Amino acid sequence: MVDIRLNATINGRKVSRDAKPHLRLLDFLRDDLNLTGNKEGCGAGECGTCSVFVDGVLMKSCLMPVAKAQGATVDTIESLAKSGELSVLQKAFHKAGASQCGYCIPGMVMAATAALRANPFADREEIKERLGGNICRCTGYQKIFDAVELARDVQNGRLPSTALLETDTADGDVIGKSVRRIDAPSKVSGRLKYAGDMIMPGMLHVQVLRSPHAHARIVSIDTSAALAIAGVESVITSADVPGKDGFGVFVHDQPIMARDKVRYVGEAVAAVAAEDALTAKRAVAAIKVVYEPLAPVFDPDEAMREGAAIVHDYAPDNITKHIPIRVGDVEAGFAESDLVIEENYSTQAIEHAYLEPEAGLAYIDHDDVVTVVSPSQNITHHRHMLARIIAKPISKVRFIMSPVGGGFGGKEDMIYQGMLALLAMKTMRPVRLVYTREESIISTAKRHPSRTTLRMGVTRDGRIKALAMRMVCDGGAYGLSTEGVMRKAAILAAGPYNIPNVRIDTFGIYTNNTPSGAFRSFGALQTQFATESHLDIIAERLGLDPFEIRRINAMRDGATTHTKQKLGSVSLMRALDAAEQASNWEAGAPTVRGPTRGDLGHDDVRPSVTLGARFAADDKQEAAE
Amino acid sequence: MARKRGRGMAACWYGIARTATIDRAAAWAEIDDGGSAKIVTGVTEIGEGILTVLAQIAAHEIGVKPEHVVIGDNDTARAPEAAHAGASRQTYMIGNVVALASREARKRLVDVMAEMWDVSAETIHTGNGEIWAENTNHRISMGEAVACAKNRGVVPIGSATFGTDTTGIADGKGGDGSGRPWQAYVFGCQVAEVEVDTITGEVQVLAVWAAHDVGRAVNPQGVEGQIEGGIVQAIGQGLMEDYQLKDGHTSTSGFAKYILPTSLDVPRVNSIIIEDPDPIGPLGVKGIGEPAMVPTIPAVMNAIYDAVGVRVFDLPATPEKILLAMREKARREAATSMQAAE
Repeated sequence: MVDIRLNATINGRKVSRDAKPHLRLLDFLRDDLNLTGNKEGCGAGECGTCSVFVDGVLMKSCLMPVAKAQGATVDTIESLAKSGELSVLQKAFHKAGASQCGYCIPGMVMAATAALRANPFADREEIKERLGGNICRCTGYQKIFDAVELARDVQNGRLPSTALLETDTADGDVIGKSVRRIDAPSKVSGRLKYAGDMIMPGMLHVQVLRSPHAHARIVSIDTSAALAIAGVESVITSADVPGKDGFGVFVHDQPIMARDKVRYVGEAVAAVAAEDALTAKRAVAAIKVVYEPLAPVFDPDEAMREGAAIVHDYAPDNITKHIPIRVGDVEAGFAESDLVIEENYSTQAIEHAYLEPEAGLAYIDHDDVVTVVSPSQNITHHRHMLARIIAKPISKVRFIMSPVGGGFGGKEDMIYQGMLALLAMKTMRPVRLVYTREESIISTAKRHPSRTTLRMGVTRDGRIKALAMRMVCDGGAYGLSTEGVMRKAAILAAGPYNIPNVRIDTFGIYTNNTPSGAFRSFGALQTQFATESHLDIIAERLGLDPFEIRRINAMRDGATTHTKQKLGSVSLMRALDAAEQASNWEAGAPTVRGPTRGDLGHDDVRPSVTLGARFAADDKQEAAE
Repeated sequence: MARKRGRGMAACWYGIARTATIDRAAAWAEIDDGGSAKIVTGVTEIGEGILTVLAQIAAHEIGVKPEHVVIGDNDTARAPEAAHAGASRQTYMIGNVVALASREARKRLVDVMAEMWDVSAETIHTGNGEIWAENTNHRISMGEAVACAKNRGVVPIGSATFGTDTTGIADGKGGDGSGRPWQAYVFGCQVAEVEVDTITGEVQVLAVWAAHDVGRAVNPQGVEGQIEGGIVQAIGQGLMEDYQLKDGHTSTSGFAKYILPTSLDVPRVNSIIIEDPDPIGPLGVKGIGEPAMVPTIPAVMNAIYDAVGVRVFDLPATPEKILLAMREKARREAATSMQAAE
């Protein structure tokens, strides 16, 4: 296709230049004009981080073909602080602590700017509705609402502009003060460069071929047609790995690209470096892989049975890790109990959904050091593993952690950095890989889905005599953090309670599903969900208040944990008291007394939402006028 | 009433820093020309605000303003090892080690000034970019003090390492899991207030009161940010998020199908920060990133039960599951009352 000549006004300057017609406005802004402040988060108009103004209207630039911007006035996040002076709203985001990883923030600032333009007096509930098209994964939104309200009040003169400034710390002690985030100005203005925003001279673009099969033997890979395409510099497979292949947080069972067989849909099989991303994509499509499908196993309980498909030869029972915890004699504890309750609980796989999809650059520096720049949560371990994989001394491997646009455990795995390093070594040029959202979701770790059976025995006065828990988790195709997740899950499973008899078993199991890995709260979320639900079931049966049953069993100073560790100070009772008092909790057994409670709907509770209610009210008012 | 409200609570505990292994981190500090502080450490920001926390700690220890702290970081070839960014370990491991390194740099500078002023080092104080000796007229800026030190051939630097006294747990065959997996534990408790629409099954979490022990809050706003963000992620898992696979293929590969909490889904979060200082580290700090998420889901599930008398055992508690459970409950109750009538 022929290029189009695009004439537009962008951030107040006339722009007249050729553009590829297949580009989205977002690509044109980011790649052609190097305006990288607005980010790509999903490519589907769902997350809002690419939001810009087109003729003054808030638009998701990933949904707009560049040709539609012909003659338009486009303003990006860079337009708001052009001289370096932040806008009132940006200053309010800084002051309120509204940015964390910062990746959603440029779009959020644009949407908030639009909200206050549409209604300079918008209240908190209207602000929420107007930000409804922008996803933030870090902040929980509360400080974003605070920021928009602060900006609104400063703009309207209800608050002085000094409300945006740092609280004075002249008394010297800065610990314990809500000092403004030092990294916020670069985040609210879009100036911070994440890995996907970085470019290097002579940089090649990387694309990855991924497995369409959950479990299959790789019979052959033919890369000749891909290599024959003009602009393709290198195609790599596991055969190109010079050292001992394998990474993982605990067991190094995952090759940087599938070796001999694929174990999940989306697993990397080959990678291409080419002059541009489109050429690299074409080359990926030209790689011919012959697979011989193998029987898969998708259910962790089935995977533990005799005769199930084996995912890794080293683990013929498909058990990645089993963690036992034993205290006392649980059967004796159940026998002493007045009430024994058993229930099954399960939790699902969830995606980290950090707004920044994986991205990275690699290059060989002047000292022949293989350098990888990526939002890695564990550069220390990654360099150890990569050194072994590429057969270099550790001093010849360097990892630089680029700004992380959200991690939550999902960026602890060295899932793509090995391919980048290898391509940089093969081409002796800088290489860059930027995942799409879909690629990120299908190929990277999830939270371990779990199935838990929990049996608890208590005496009539509410004392827990015994707890037996068995949790089976789907670890997916590779080990990643499974071992550690099972360990933390088991250690913390019984909760902060004195229980004389405990039997806990957690199992991480290999299957042909997307691998599970580290995710904020690392197994403890799954087990404590079961334990804390169970305590309420028992409290109802015994007629005890939920706080009360926890106090009866609470660990106190000097308690011994279920791993037989003696603790010093234990703050649990303080936490129980504080939450009970702050919420003005009305005591009583959890017997579905919601309809009769007297402690609901205080000032520190948000109003409930009825979608469209505000608009309906507006319509009514207009009709009345 | 089509909408019913209820409340539930749950408690939690969590271990800070790496589990059942020895954790460690290192940092370098320098009091630079002009009196600013330069901190170098191997791993920092993933969004939680650790750069600001480290700047506050270095400022506090050295006696400069936080905006006069420069942090160089995140490079395995240019910075000392600080291990990884996870396990709720950043403030605990890296915060404590930055404090120790800063103290050493400050001591170097103070020792020079004590000699110059002919006073004992214990009488010298630093703060707000100045250094002075008590009960004297000696008071100069940190920048001037650095120049004095350098004129005497001393660059005021410090370095430190911080490790945990922890062990593995006995989790081999036949093991009982005993061991000392962490040296710092935190505890927390949350109360949730929900509204359940009995016609659609939709649950709104209207408020969460979250009380968490963090040891010592270096930056309360940052602690709140972690609690608020953790609670909303937990509500995502509790009520809507669901990565679905069929025969190994996902049907939720984009945000149109993979549903995340938006601004309209989030509760008012009321954070209560509890400070039970860690007795081991130099600062008393612990951590908050992960524990903030742990009690939310059971608190919400307990609240749903309180509101409508159904309990969801398999997450997420989607409107469909709530409605199904309510229908089953109604059927059960009708059957019971029928029996009673007979």
